[in-house]
Amino acid sequence: MNMHKDNMTNTKNINLIDDDVITDPVMEEQIARGISDLLNNRAQHLKPEQEQRLSVARNAAVTYLAEQQAQYSTSNHVAGHSNVLRWFGHAGHSFEQHRVASAALLVAVMLLTFFAVQQFGSTHNLENSDAFLLASDLPPEAYADKGFDAWIESN
Amino acid sequence: MATPKELSDFLIAIERRAFKQTAYAVRDDHAALDIVQDAMMKLAEKYGERPATEFPMLFQRILQNTMRDFWRRQKVRNLWTTLLSSFGSNDGDSEERDPLETIDVEDDADEPSAQLARSQTIQLIERALEKLPARQREAFVLRYWEEMDVAETAKIMGCSDGSVKTHCSRAVHALALELKKQGLDKLGLSNAVFDKK
Repeated sequence: MNMHKDNMTNTKNINLIDDDVITDPVMEEQIARGISDLLNNRAQHLKPEQEQRLSVARNAAVTYLAEQQAQYSTSNHVAGHSNVLRWFGHAGHSFEQHRVASAALLVAVMLLTFFAVQQFGSTHNLENSDAFLLASDLPPEAYADKGFDAWIESN
Repeated sequence: MATPKELSDFLIAIERRAFKQTAYAVRDDHAALDIVQDAMMKLAEKYGERPATEFPMLFQRILQNTMRDFWRRQKVRNLWTTLLSSFGSNDGDSEERDPLETIDVEDDADEPSAQLARSQTIQLIERALEKLPARQREAFVLRYWEEMDVAETAKIMGCSDGSVKTHCSRAVHALALELKKQGLDKLGLSNAVFDKK
């Protein structure tokens, strides 16, 4: 009965529409509220199949959240015993920490590789230059150079 | 963090309105149900850890964005349909489609006769709402139907407070004039209304 009264009031507001009246912000608000109330009333009477579909959608969303929270609480339990695991993203919600740990690991591997290559490269170059000196033919001028003999002996 | 029960209560409270709002916007009940379903799932997936008090704003934002995605997809689909149909045969079946035929008018034949007038008024409002420009409808729905304040509406719509007020005002004017034009006084409600006037 009250709802019927409300609807009648809303309909009155809608029917009081006039170009002069609607310039009044209060009347504008009243008309808008009246229309909204009627629409609200309409929205409460959906077809059964639409209600059913909305219910299925809602249950799916709620179930998803419940599962996520259950998973999160389990992960927290595990992570509580071992904080190291959290750094590698074991807890699910420590994605940022997981990224930090992965990035640090990557940088460490890159630095290690760089130093290893540098080390290997310099040793290899020294060996190459020694081998070149030993295997190469001396130019004839070298034998005429007195200082060369002295240099050979000193080395 | 919101509990599943809080999410469930929130969705129960808004799902019907959300569906009707979407249906007015996309003019297709099945698509509207899909959009509402997507929005519900996105809320649970991405914002489930937020407090329940933030749900109304977040859900409306998700719903509006999901509607926009739908329109974008429709636009692309329509473009391809137009291109392909232009290569099609010109036989007798290719009559021009009347857009009015695609509007889904609900069958209220089973409504009690006492509620007929009110039902017709609501139908007129629904059609008038469907005719509104998208931004005006969005502003009207958020501001008056969802009862959000101007700032919240502006935040969801991504515009200024002033724009929201303008959109709302224009929407109410357009709805009011459309209803007047359709002649509410011819729907058996005139006595109750115009006697007062």
